[in-house]
Amino acid sequence: MYNFLQIRLSAFLLDVNTVGSYIPVALQVLIVVGLIGFLLWATHMLGPKRKTSDKLEVFSSGIGSHGEARQPMAIKYFLVAILFVLFDVEVIFFYPYAVNIKGLGWHGFYAVLMFVGFFLCGFIYILKKGALKWED
Amino acid sequence: MIAVLMILIPLLGGIISFFLKKGNTARSFSLLSAVVTMVIMLYGMLAPKGTTLLSFSADWLPMLGTRFSLEADGIARVLTLLTAIAYPLILVSTWQHTYKNANRFFGFMLLTQAGLMGVFLATDALLFYFFWELALIPVYFLCSIWGGERRIPVTFKFFIYTFIGSLLMLVGIIYVYSKTADHSFALDSFYHATLTGGEQSWLFWMFFVAFAIKMPIFPFHSWQPDTYEQSPTATTMVLSGLMVKMGIFAVIRWLLPLLPVGVNNWAVSVSFLSVIGIIYASLIALKQDDMKRLIAYSSIAHIGLMSLALFANNNVGMQGVVIQMFNHGINIIALWIVVEMIEQQFGTRKMSELGGIAQKAPALALLFVIVALANIALPLTNGFVGEFLMFNGIFTSTAYDGNYTLFGTWHLNAANLGIIFTILAGIGIILSAVYTLRAIQKVLYGETNNLTAGGRDIKVNEKWVLAVIVAVIIIIGIYPQPLLDVSHGAVTEVLQKADIGNLIKK
Amino acid sequence: MNALLISAVMGVLMMFSSFMLKSKSAVRNVALAGMFLILVANILDTYGWHLFNIPTEGMMHFDRFSLFFNSIAFACTFIFFLLSARDMEKVGINYAEYFSLIFFILCGIVLVASFQSLLILFLGIEIISIPLYILTGSDKRNLKSNEASLKYFLLGSFSTGIMLMGITLLYGHAGSFDITVLIKAGEKPSSLAIAGLLMLLFAMAFKVSAAPFHFWTPDVYDGAPTVFTSFMATIVKAAAFIGFMRLFSTAFYSLHDQWQMVIAIITALTLLIGNITAVFQQSIKRMLAYSSISQAGFMMLALFALNGTATEGLFLYVAAYSLATIGVFAVLIKMKDYTFEGFNGFARHHPFLAAVNTVFLLSLAGIPLTAGFLAKFYMLKAAVEAGGFLWLVIFAVLMAAVSVYYYFRVIQAMYFKEGDAPVSMEVSRPFQWVLGVLAFLIILLGVFPNALLYWFYF
Repeated sequence: MYNFLQIRLSAFLLDVNTVGSYIPVALQVLIVVGLIGFLLWATHMLGPKRKTSDKLEVFSSGIGSHGEARQPMAIKYFLVAILFVLFDVEVIFFYPYAVNIKGLGWHGFYAVLMFVGFFLCGFIYILKKGALKWED
Repeated sequence: MIAVLMILIPLLGGIISFFLKKGNTARSFSLLSAVVTMVIMLYGMLAPKGTTLLSFSADWLPMLGTRFSLEADGIARVLTLLTAIAYPLILVSTWQHTYKNANRFFGFMLLTQAGLMGVFLATDALLFYFFWELALIPVYFLCSIWGGERRIPVTFKFFIYTFIGSLLMLVGIIYVYSKTADHSFALDSFYHATLTGGEQSWLFWMFFVAFAIKMPIFPFHSWQPDTYEQSPTATTMVLSGLMVKMGIFAVIRWLLPLLPVGVNNWAVSVSFLSVIGIIYASLIALKQDDMKRLIAYSSIAHIGLMSLALFANNNVGMQGVVIQMFNHGINIIALWIVVEMIEQQFGTRKMSELGGIAQKAPALALLFVIVALANIALPLTNGFVGEFLMFNGIFTSTAYDGNYTLFGTWHLNAANLGIIFTILAGIGIILSAVYTLRAIQKVLYGETNNLTAGGRDIKVNEKWVLAVIVAVIIIIGIYPQPLLDVSHGAVTEVLQKADIGNLIKK
Repeated sequence: MNALLISAVMGVLMMFSSFMLKSKSAVRNVALAGMFLILVANILDTYGWHLFNIPTEGMMHFDRFSLFFNSIAFACTFIFFLLSARDMEKVGINYAEYFSLIFFILCGIVLVASFQSLLILFLGIEIISIPLYILTGSDKRNLKSNEASLKYFLLGSFSTGIMLMGITLLYGHAGSFDITVLIKAGEKPSSLAIAGLLMLLFAMAFKVSAAPFHFWTPDVYDGAPTVFTSFMATIVKAAAFIGFMRLFSTAFYSLHDQWQMVIAIITALTLLIGNITAVFQQSIKRMLAYSSISQAGFMMLALFALNGTATEGLFLYVAAYSLATIGVFAVLIKMKDYTFEGFNGFARHHPFLAAVNTVFLLSLAGIPLTAGFLAKFYMLKAAVEAGGFLWLVIFAVLMAAVSVYYYFRVIQAMYFKEGDAPVSMEVSRPFQWVLGVLAFLIILLGVFPNALLYWFYF
């Protein structure tokens, strides 16, 4: 019995080609879900409670709310925001390249140059299309 | 080479006809095309046996194992001859009729002829299927554009009916093809395909439904009276005189020799259907007032008899069928011509509104009577020869001997089925005499009424057309030997392949 | 490889031409020239003239299968441009961008047709899908177009998610994305492999709009601007099928027996739902959407059979279906009224257009002498040769008979009914010429399918 637990199970778990290798993942999922569930339940049970109607009010920084939340905003904000995200993400691709810059050599350099080139095309495009023009 | 011309002339003629501007030019042109086709076919008939004049073969789709191969054996010869002769007759007899967009009408008519010729000549299953469908499409347009009031739904029903049938046949063809030794669609390879009895049993229905709808056999007939009634008369002639023969011909060439075991399993069941069809259609015909519908139902009865004789599976019966296909084609076209003449003159086809025409139009009356008598198969007319042979075949058939399971459910043990079938079919003939004579009496004799009082006799060209047909009717009625000679060899060959006893010996 | 790079560059070029070229006809001409260039480059590629030589590290494989399909797809797109490029002007103001998006979609099509690694398949599917979401919603003022776009986007992302999950599971099973490795791994299937296979199957079935994953199709095809529906329903769908075929005929070939039944059921369902629902449609555009589902059902037969005939047949089917559907849509775009009644009396006013439209519809219905017949014939033949599932074949032909009903309704309206068939715009002479050539091609393929299939081998 002891033997089985010690040896077979570890072999079972280490063999990447079986479903068994997923058992740690499954265990972790169980623990995570269990822990969160337990914490939620515990705080709910243990913490003091005051049930008043004020608690259901919309509340922000201690100031009472007034007016409609859905106010129209210029589409330009969104446009600029989404373009920022796009070009910002580009930077992420430089991190792996920066780490491997020597290993990839000139070949890698051309590849990255092409990548940047494509982005430059996109940038020229949005510039020419007037996406960044703030005033009409 | 003639075999190719039979398809090529009407095909090109039809296409050219679409581009002719004037209706009258198109009409004359289509007649020219039809006459040329007929003359060449007659020349081909005179060719001695064994020449390659009536067959043709060329590569078509080698990857699929299909060739563009045509051959006119005995039975196909009779039917191509019928098609070639019938077209000039049809065109001349409807000469007076005016059509909107006549060039298209005649174009479609000629395309139909090309399709029909292809069906009768093809000896390659895929090619056969091609033509089988191609004959249908122009007819669909003919009926839907130039037909009667209810033409659109009626024609559509006809189309869907036949299309379902032919698609099932397509599955059958592909299945048989997959069982051939050399993966080929050629007729000979099909005959030698290795199929078990069980496979033949269900394949039989895949093929037979397609053919039965075309013929039509009870209970697949419901499209037929409506379509005949609604189509323009020239198209009705093609439909009833020629297209119906596609079904019977296909059974002879593509079913009996191909699936002998299947045929043997189902022969009695199909015979029962045929007999029911004969009696049923005859009874309904008795009640009809519209002459077109009367002829339509009478046609169902006649076809039922032919199908009965087909599945009797003996030489006499089948020869009767081949002869009768020709005769029925001629006779029914003659009947439509008469109806067309009456309708042109008096503006109605209702028998109750007509009467006393014989007094005003003696020539029409005489010719009508002869054609009608041929339709009831009176001796000395062509109909008699065919029906006599068919009855002989049914009566002496050995195909019905033994125990049977009808449609897989009803068990049957009858020794004298041949006699029973003969008697029942005979009742159909008697009924046919009743309704035909009644029609003659109502239309031709009695007192004239307001409508028919101003009647006149038929014109010279109409007289000539009918006279030629009547001459053919009587000549074949008295001396059918030449026609029998043509079909004899082929019938024997088909029956050899269809004979199960023979199969077992091999 | 030639076509992939050129079409990517063309996409960028079209973006630039949106602000560099002033006239719309100039934009159109650039797009046409580019399309022609791509087609030629691909044909050169097929016969050994590689313009670029970039190592793909075994992630892509440009074999005859993929190159041949690319040629078909590019040729169809070229014809589509010739017929409908002018009609794109009316969709919105971003004329050049529409072309640009289509060129990007073509990149995705090349990827999907020639992937060797599941990652490339995923990339290809996404590169096809994302521009399509935009094209679907490009008619910004039209609420139906917006709805279609959102619906397509949500459901499309969902199916992509399923696909990714499937790829992950397969990686867990085989330890590789390479489909050649997957074949070997398939000989010892585990529950992981089967689950991954099923997920990929469902995701691909979604992309080709096979039932029961077809629910997006009618709404999206109906809501999208008609020009783009035409492109989406033909070339894109064809590409998805080719990807489907490539995936299942290589990666999962060793498991054929396991999934054949699933495909058979999906095929039968697709045929049933597509055909029966199409019968009840009043709008021709919506009818064509359902008809595209039913045609997909027929193409599924190739996947079901998975033999030599099936491969040939799928190419023929894809060509026949795309050509005919592009033609029907090109005529439909010109109409003012998209219902069946809108075509009443069309033959009298436009005899030529009616005639070619009839050829297209006959081809879709599978009437002999048109390419559609031989395509269906090949499919049935492949299925019969696969053996054992005869009920499916018989069911398929019965459904083909049903399909005649709705295709012929259009013919009936054009020829047999009275009406004035309002046309919303001028029909130019070159347009008629191209349609005539298209109809001729369909008849040519209907008589000699080898005119196309020959090039698959030589």
